[in-house]
Amino acid sequence: MIEMIWETVCSVAGLILVAIGAFCDIAAAIGINRFPNFFVRLHAATVGAIGGAVVPAFGAGLIALGSPELGNYRFFVAGVSFTTGLMIMILGQAGAHALARATLKAKAAPLEPCVHNALRRREEVRGE
Amino acid sequence: MSLVLSCLIPLYIVAIVLYAVRVLKGPTVSDRVLAVDALGFDLAAFLTILSVLFRAPIMVTTALVLALWIYALDIYVAKYLESKEMGD
Amino acid sequence: MIDLIAALLMAVAAVTSIVFTYLAVVEKNLIQAVVFSAVQSTMYALIYFLLMAPDIVLVYLPVGVGIYPAIILLLIKKTDKVDE
Repeated sequence: MIEMIWETVCSVAGLILVAIGAFCDIAAAIGINRFPNFFVRLHAATVGAIGGAVVPAFGAGLIALGSPELGNYRFFVAGVSFTTGLMIMILGQAGAHALARATLKAKAAPLEPCVHNALRRREEVRGE
Repeated sequence: MSLVLSCLIPLYIVAIVLYAVRVLKGPTVSDRVLAVDALGFDLAAFLTILSVLFRAPIMVTTALVLALWIYALDIYVAKYLESKEMGD
Repeated sequence: MIDLIAALLMAVAAVTSIVFTYLAVVEKNLIQAVVFSAVQSTMYALIYFLLMAPDIVLVYLPVGVGIYPAIILLLIKKTDKVDE
């Protein structure tokens, strides 16, 4: 009885997480197509990496924990899924930050529709 | 459970196609690499969902490998851009 | 149902990989050609995954996404960026 309740709770929670991930994925894909600038598109990519990749990976691990037809392999699937989610949570932000820093230093992307640029103001203050 | 997962699969396909469109028309190199980055991470999460849906537990290891190597591509291009900026 | 999903995904990945292969061939800027080639490798990895061959995926991903762009970028850094 306890096991059945546990499996149902895990499956429903995992399905909800996967649905949230699908929504965030669509939102991030539309945003990365509609935003005007590289540095604005970084925001949409953040939504796609955390909401669209980490959350569904955790959801898939929870679904695997709650499905008894996988046998003993369900712990394997759940462990690899959680590890994948943690890796994306660390590496996605590190990679995006490295790319943005390199692009800003090399001036490889235009800063044209610029609303607020904190780094430029700091450089101007330092230059004066 | 399997039916709900099957209904959620097309949303992920549409998202992957939209990321591919941005890779196709991004004006600078940074845009394309950022879109490849997001596409790879989403595909890694998608592979875990597919291996749960197909009931094939061994195939989940590919997601971890994909996430790690997409990060490596990101760092390569960032290092190339910074070295070009240094004049080397 | 699962076979239908696999066939649909395979069709999408195959068409996308054809488009990116063409772009990687005709592109003049070599760094962007490397990025197109990485996308094509990712799509091929998805096709191999759907054909239930995870061992091929484990070999193809480091070669297609990791080692090949690294070597080509090291090579481009020593030569011209734009193909004449």
